[in-house]
Amino acid sequence: MDIIRIKNLNAGFPTKRGLVRAATSVDLTIREGECLGLIGESGCGKTVLGMTIMRLLQPNTIISGEIFYKGQNLLALKEEEMRKLRGKELGMILQNSTTSLNPVLSVGDQIAEGIILHEGLRKKEAREKATELLEKVQIKNAAVMSKRYPHEFSGGMRERAMIAIALACSPSFVIADEPTTGLDNRTMKGVISLLAEVAKSKSMLFITHDLAAASEICDTIAVMYAGEIVEWGDVDEVFSAPLHPYTSGLLNSLPERGFIAIPGSSPSLIDLPGGCRFKERCACSEERCARAHPLMKEISSSHKVRCHRYD
Amino acid sequence: MSKKNLAMSVSIAIFAIYLLIALFAPLLTPYDPFIIAGGIYEEPSPEHLLGTNDLAQDIFSQLIYGTRATLLLGFTGAILSVSIGTAIGIVSGYYGGRVDEFITRTLDIVMTIPTFPLLLVMMMFFTPGIYVTGILMGLLGSARGVRVIRSQVLSIAQMNFITGVKVMGASDLYVMAKHVLPNLLSLVTVQFVFSAQHFMVMGIGLGFLGLGDSNVIDWGQMIDRAYQNGGVINGLWWWLIPPGMAVTFLSLSLALFGYSMEDEINPRMKLTRI
Amino acid sequence: MEARYLFKRLCYCGLAFIASITIIFLLLHFMPGDYVTFYLLEISRTTPVEVIEHYQHVYGLDQPFLEHYVNYVVAVIQGDWGYSFEYRVPVFPLIGQKLWWTVMIMVPSLILSTIIGAVAGAWSGWKRGTKGDMALLSSMLFFRAIPSYWLAIMGLLVFSCLLGWFPLGGYMSINALFSGYDIFDIIHHAALPILTTTLLSLTGTYYLMRNSMLMTLGEDYITTARAKGLKESVILRKHAARNALLPMVTMIAMQCAHLMAGSIFIETIFSWPGMGMLTFNALNMRDVPLLQGIFLMGALILIAANFAADMVYPLLDPRVEESMHE
Repeated sequence: MDIIRIKNLNAGFPTKRGLVRAATSVDLTIREGECLGLIGESGCGKTVLGMTIMRLLQPNTIISGEIFYKGQNLLALKEEEMRKLRGKELGMILQNSTTSLNPVLSVGDQIAEGIILHEGLRKKEAREKATELLEKVQIKNAAVMSKRYPHEFSGGMRERAMIAIALACSPSFVIADEPTTGLDNRTMKGVISLLAEVAKSKSMLFITHDLAAASEICDTIAVMYAGEIVEWGDVDEVFSAPLHPYTSGLLNSLPERGFIAIPGSSPSLIDLPGGCRFKERCACSEERCARAHPLMKEISSSHKVRCHRYD
Repeated sequence: MSKKNLAMSVSIAIFAIYLLIALFAPLLTPYDPFIIAGGIYEEPSPEHLLGTNDLAQDIFSQLIYGTRATLLLGFTGAILSVSIGTAIGIVSGYYGGRVDEFITRTLDIVMTIPTFPLLLVMMMFFTPGIYVTGILMGLLGSARGVRVIRSQVLSIAQMNFITGVKVMGASDLYVMAKHVLPNLLSLVTVQFVFSAQHFMVMGIGLGFLGLGDSNVIDWGQMIDRAYQNGGVINGLWWWLIPPGMAVTFLSLSLALFGYSMEDEINPRMKLTRI
Repeated sequence: MEARYLFKRLCYCGLAFIASITIIFLLLHFMPGDYVTFYLLEISRTTPVEVIEHYQHVYGLDQPFLEHYVNYVVAVIQGDWGYSFEYRVPVFPLIGQKLWWTVMIMVPSLILSTIIGAVAGAWSGWKRGTKGDMALLSSMLFFRAIPSYWLAIMGLLVFSCLLGWFPLGGYMSINALFSGYDIFDIIHHAALPILTTTLLSLTGTYYLMRNSMLMTLGEDYITTARAKGLKESVILRKHAARNALLPMVTMIAMQCAHLMAGSIFIETIFSWPGMGMLTFNALNMRDVPLLQGIFLMGALILIAANFAADMVYPLLDPRVEESMHE
């Protein structure tokens, strides 16, 4: 049973310099209980994809395609219907917990407000539940910390608080957007194991550029490059036998695999090149890569790639 | 043409008209604004477009000549205050550290000094004159712009190219003048426009309070005269309204220009994360 | 609230007041042509030298710099702000008595303009770019560019002369001289000055609130609030407006300086017997001792306003407690 099915999704922002095409014909599915890791360099459109599912992008964004959540197309819902799903059915852990928490409200209050809204609890009960949630995300002294403000939390604790907010109304699907960025190594490990715990009981979209974290938490991996999915498959297959040169490049840039950076930089999303979008930086680009845009090709039932080498 | 450009063009056009009137005042006025040009309290007529005042002076001619005083007041004040404010702001933001701390703290205290009453006390010691008034206003108003300039300089000073130029051994003064200042130009222009507007309005206000230069015609003194000599009670609208409207439109045109420019350089809309 | 914070802010207030005293003192001491001589010669060209010297002595102008300075500071702090040339009474009680009339205009105006300005600004920022926002923004900016004196004169012309809704000026009707104080009569007289002052300060408050709101709406925690599924009205009130109000607290204190300058024109035009009209009279009489007293009172008001802002701010923003340990 698919919990999320994204079909031919396109998202673009009109700007003065032109249309920023942040996502181009994205097709993805996430099964019930599965955790999909969306990886790629920053600026490739990962966050936009997450925000599109939540429908949290600015109103002038141009979106086409379909996103089915448990069979209903989210993009066709009225704003009010969508609002009722947010927080209750779809939880989101936003990136950058420093700025994503309201500085003038206590952390407990920020967790409780969703509960009051969606579960109709009274303020006092909701605050108690908020404290329980803080305990659940392993914040020590939760009863006291619940009354504290975000600036009194450490980076790791803020991240945990963000997780608690996302989990407050036990949503069945959670999007975690770069939850480990900016944390020191030890704190990061704690947060990752917490997320791995969460992933066991929920369906999840885990957006990250941290491949190690993705391999630890996710069941499947989708690699995004310049607004499109270039490889998608089972986590072990993608990491042990990557098909797309970009995926190999990402893996080779890991410290334990030689720290070899991919040459060049991603193309501007405003004027994307024709043919394969990765050809400029690809070691094995051929003449046809400039000519034709590669299509997603199914190599096995659990592995797909967008590259001319597999035509 | 977009709405913003339209607003800017309209405001520039209005301002240009004021400027031309000020420049060519002698050609546009039928009478010397100081002489007795007819009877007293005359109503508007072809001879006296806006009638005459209690001293039998031609109000229309006074109105035209008043433009000069207003523009001079505003520009003297604005040039002085923006130069001082920008200089202090650059020094504060560029050097940072203790210099910045000292300037910011001093500024905190200076901001609690009521400048307008202080200006009034100072005016008591001087024979009123346009330049003196302009300079005093400019001096006292120079603290206003320091903060904005400072924070802008702070962000510029951190940019890579500034470090690059410094590494090449350029002197601080050179870097400030050649690299920091040009990046502030649009911000300084906005400040200049708003300061000019502020000081023109204030200068005319001083004239209204009886602190104008009696050797010069300004709209403030005209309003004051009309007000004191029954212009309001007797409904002599042609005496009271034109100078007030003149300053209001001038102020509006400058404000419109300032806001459209401010909008241009500071779109306040966050770029979308991708 | 922490005692240390309070102490620090109080020290700062003291320092600010000393700075104001020093500036006005330097002016009185060093300006060419001392104001006593100037005033006496204005009254009569043939004022004898002995008389001038006598008054210079009375006003302390013959003292050496340091002695004069110390005496001046001590006197000001003790409430001895000099003696008005024109009113022939000590300056401090005179200003104190006029101050209440000004407060009667300023406080209601400030409260009204803050409430209306903040609500309208928040609404405008929330609805940014819509027709309603644009209409409100342009009319506010329009009024903001109108000089205060012109606004007052036009108000008087339209609402008092043409429509006759309000009296032409003053603070009570002639009848009140016989029948005694009538609070409604005074309110009727105060209404137009209050409305004008409100409009004067409203536009600034609105503009700042709108800008502040635009900044706040770009913050990530607004997205977090949306991601929780909160209703837009809750996001507006609890998350956006609440945070957008923070910079307003200091701004409203700053607004007082602007209002003080405006009150000189407004009180003069409406013949309202407060500090503003006192200033106008002092200017016309070249009453420098009175003017310096008005300046000092202005400084006190601004310092008090800033202090109030410093006290209110930590109640709204929990982060201040943290930063004050620096």
